[in-house]
Amino acid sequence: MAYREKAGWLSLFAMVVTFGPYFTITGLHSVPSEALPNLRQLGLFAVAAVVQAMILGAGHLYLRRGAVQEARMGLDERDGAIKRESISWAYYVPIAGTIVVGCVMPFNSSGWSIVNAALFMMIAAEMVHYGVVVFSYRGQA
Amino acid sequence: MIEGTISNRMRMLRFHKGEMSQAELGELIGVTRQTIAAIESGKYSPSLEAAFRIAHVFGVDLDEVFQWGVKGAS
Repeated sequence: MAYREKAGWLSLFAMVVTFGPYFTITGLHSVPSEALPNLRQLGLFAVAAVVQAMILGAGHLYLRRGAVQEARMGLDERDGAIKRESISWAYYVPIAGTIVVGCVMPFNSSGWSIVNAALFMMIAAEMVHYGVVVFSYRGQA
Repeated sequence: MIEGTISNRMRMLRFHKGEMSQAELGELIGVTRQTIAAIESGKYSPSLEAAFRIAHVFGVDLDEVFQWGVKGAS
């Protein structure tokens, strides 16, 4: 498996195990809109973000140890093509997110609902990006 | 648009080049071993520049490495 495919799987894994629970907990216990700043919600987000950073940091170190030369090498033309394709697919998610979060939600929601919806769209865009990356590498393996 | 498929003789050319490995070829071309494997299996079409580099490494013309055939043509 290519180093960059492994890195893609790692990013997907890190997002699922950190922001999966974050959005599950947030969805189960709806946050009062007026509670801004909400320290409990901020704390939950901080935990998810820090754990994600730790998983990514440790994971990349581990992957680099196993493929030093490949990790040092820049993107080759196939990597570049896959990256461009994945970004072009992921581009539509923030566009849809901007419409929903910025143009629709302000009329019927407020506070953390909007914040979490924006966060969700960012994570969704990243999921699509890395999903297309691993799918493309798998398809060409 | 004319539909076609690209095939290649890279495996055979590597064999004739002293059983050159995919990693060695990749290093000379500036791509990863996985990219060479994807090109060889026909799952990725290289850029024209990379194709010329590959032909140069084997010391042959481009059409001795890559062939293009019209789909459905006998």
